Amino acid sequence: MTVVFGIAAAFSVVAVIVICIFLFVRGIPAMAKVGLFDFLFGVDWRPNNNDVFDQALEGMYGILPMIVGTLCATAGALLVGGTIGYLTAIFLAKFCPKKIKGILSQVVNLLAGIPSVIFGFFGMRVLSPFLGIFTSNGSGSGIFLVSIVLGIMILPTVVSLSKNAIEAVPDAYYEGARALGASHEQAVFKVVVPAGRSGVLASLILGVGRAMGETMAVVMVAGNSPVFPTGLFRSFCTLTATIVKEMGYAEDVHLSSLFAIGCVLLVFVLIVNLILHMVSREKKSNRNGRQGRLVPDWLRGFYAKIDRPLGKFKKGCCYGAAAFSTVALAGIVLFVMINGIPHITWDFLTNNYTYGSGPTIMPALAATGLLIVVSMVIAIPIGIATAIYLHEYTKRGNKLVKVIRSAIEVLSGVPSIVYGLFGMAFFCTFMNLGTSIISGSLTVTIMILPVIVRSTEEALIAVPDSYREGSYALGATKLRTVFKVVLPSALPGILAAVILAIGRVVSESAPLVYTMGASPRPAPSGLSSPGTSLAVLLYYYTGEGLYLDQAYATAAILMIIVLGLNLLSTFLVKKLQRRTTGA
Amino acid sequence: MSKAIQSANVSIKDVNLFYSDFQALKDINMEIPANQVTAFIGPSGCGKSTLLRCLNRMNDLIEGCKVEGTIKVGDVDIYREVEVNELRRSIGMVFQKPNPFPMSVYDNIAYGARIYGIRKRSELDEIVERTLKQSAMWEELKDRLRKSALGLSGGQQQRLCIARALAVDPKILLMDEPTSALDPISTGKIEELCAELKQTVTIVIVTHNMQQATRISDKTGFFLLGDLVEYGDTEQIFEAPRMPETERYITGRFG
Repeated sequence: MTVVFGIAAAFSVVAVIVICIFLFVRGIPAMAKVGLFDFLFGVDWRPNNNDVFDQALEGMYGILPMIVGTLCATAGALLVGGTIGYLTAIFLAKFCPKKIKGILSQVVNLLAGIPSVIFGFFGMRVLSPFLGIFTSNGSGSGIFLVSIVLGIMILPTVVSLSKNAIEAVPDAYYEGARALGASHEQAVFKVVVPAGRSGVLASLILGVGRAMGETMAVVMVAGNSPVFPTGLFRSFCTLTATIVKEMGYAEDVHLSSLFAIGCVLLVFVLIVNLILHMVSREKKSNRNGRQGRLVPDWLRGFYAKIDRPLGKFKKGCCYGAAAFSTVALAGIVLFVMINGIPHITWDFLTNNYTYGSGPTIMPALAATGLLIVVSMVIAIPIGIATAIYLHEYTKRGNKLVKVIRSAIEVLSGVPSIVYGLFGMAFFCTFMNLGTSIISGSLTVTIMILPVIVRSTEEALIAVPDSYREGSYALGATKLRTVFKVVLPSALPGILAAVILAIGRVVSESAPLVYTMGASPRPAPSGLSSPGTSLAVLLYYYTGEGLYLDQAYATAAILMIIVLGLNLLSTFLVKKLQRRTTGA
Repeated sequence: MSKAIQSANVSIKDVNLFYSDFQALKDINMEIPANQVTAFIGPSGCGKSTLLRCLNRMNDLIEGCKVEGTIKVGDVDIYREVEVNELRRSIGMVFQKPNPFPMSVYDNIAYGARIYGIRKRSELDEIVERTLKQSAMWEELKDRLRKSALGLSGGQQQRLCIARALAVDPKILLMDEPTSALDPISTGKIEELCAELKQTVTIVIVTHNMQQATRISDKTGFFLLGDLVEYGDTEQIFEAPRMPETERYITGRFG
């Protein structure tokens, strides 16, 4: 059985390799033609579709403005979402009154599933006109707006993962600190939060990855001029937005240059991963060496004096951040619901699409359903088997495990639009599956794999070792122990993981635009026919600007689906927990 | 290759155990007689639990752990002549912290039996009833067999774990400080249980509590820093210890 689990785990490594190969094979020709330096550091992006590889270039292919744009947008998002998310997580884990904690945590989990198109849609319809009041050109688009939209978008991810990390810190640490006379705030900020740092960092990795790779939300609020972001409210463009904007009509050199942008994004993700690896390793060695740090006496006295007030201040920040998160996220949900629900009609839900008929979402619902089923059928077994292999079947420090873990980390960081590029090159073209539901599903499968692996592993880690010992001591084999004791105990966590992954699938649009279809079309007749998912349809309607009411309605339905999934998962988790924990 | 374990006397010969570079057990030699209670005592870190976990090879699960020497149960060399899961079936274990699985009382007890292929409802029912009676819990639990075991009190959980271990008819029962997490009343119940169980199984118990050792054990081994300092009848160890270290320990001067 080890072999079976091992093969599943190797899948991630193979996926990373194949993704790299296909991106670089398609991207290198453009980099070579333009020249790597001119490509990376050129300041003009004026692609010309008449450019072919065996003639001189007429267009300009410099992506520096977009690189800068991406970096600024990511930094802005981290500043807004990272900070607020981190503080909100501390609030939820350690300061929140018991009564509202459950509800708030639930709300946050729900919001983690909100499709990024909805954030973009909200930014475009509400925040942009509002900010436009204060700008000279009347439009709020630009770095400022993108930072806020992306920041709010990564909030739930950061909050819920950081919260889990903080809550996983043993109570004994907290009690130990309190027993030494630390106040609640001091114990939280000096002992509990630092102890949960690695998990908090992991949540920030995910946040950065999401912000850097986000396409749809950005393309809707950035303005999309291929120039440097020269002001907070100036139109600019990111790497991801460029790809999704131009993919539809690009050819030859231009097309290859978009793949080259994909390569650049991929390299960025690798660099981010590497930096964070180094940071977390440094943290670990720091922790051992911390006692040795010399603080002059007068400074120590000063620290001691301000420590309690400082703790109170930090606590205040946590309350503020939590209030902001709640208001922002609940506001978006309410806004979309209020504007969307009145426009949901029976015809809108059930009519099939025919050429020239009005907007309808039945085909999109069908396509999304198929997408979920196919991707889950493949991703769940592979993901769970991978997690089992990593946590139950291998020893710590194993080289192979390290490789697999890095592969999973890379996969989780790869921007969704890059999956779109890869899916198009590999599934649609190379495997000859065309623009179809199956192509889109396979693309999405690889994308959600890390979500399932990570969360399943978390759930496995949470199963006490004493269960395993008890089982082994009765003479059970490893396989039986895993399937009869460990997996059942981890089931609520795994279910939550699966629901999270389904939410991801429902809300993703960037990888599907060019692998599954991006315009209204009749309901799919099978896996090989193209289909437009709900989220992509929302993007389409928003872009068209003609069917605004229907766009709201679509957004509301998307939201209701996510909400429904979440309620279902809560219900299941609660029920299972009741079954397994007493009385 | 796998020999069946027939008898329950354990003979430990020249056992050395290493955790990577650290030597946790040094040249241990001892004979543990069948159908008696043998207690391992000594200060924390002396190797008593480590030796206990050698007897059913739970140490195999620890990375970097290396065992030298031979341990025989009856005439079977447990590190060479028996499959590890088969060994653990014959040698049950109860842990320091009660660790019932997150299942019903019934499923907890039936877990071991199911491993060995018993599927029939009536047989499982019979095993559950027998072991619960054996561990003096039948009256308490017969009406809540379907409830989660995690809802039981700590003492009940620990006795359930004993019942769970007994359900597969082990020859030997290893107990690793089974009462250190329990209140005095629960502790008393488990001690009574030990006295009754030794009719049918051989018990090896690690304990921090010297009164407990005197109350329930027939033989006692005193460990210090990986050495077996003294081993003999419990009465002799506590009333006329031969080694000065033993005397200092049992009179409470260190440890």
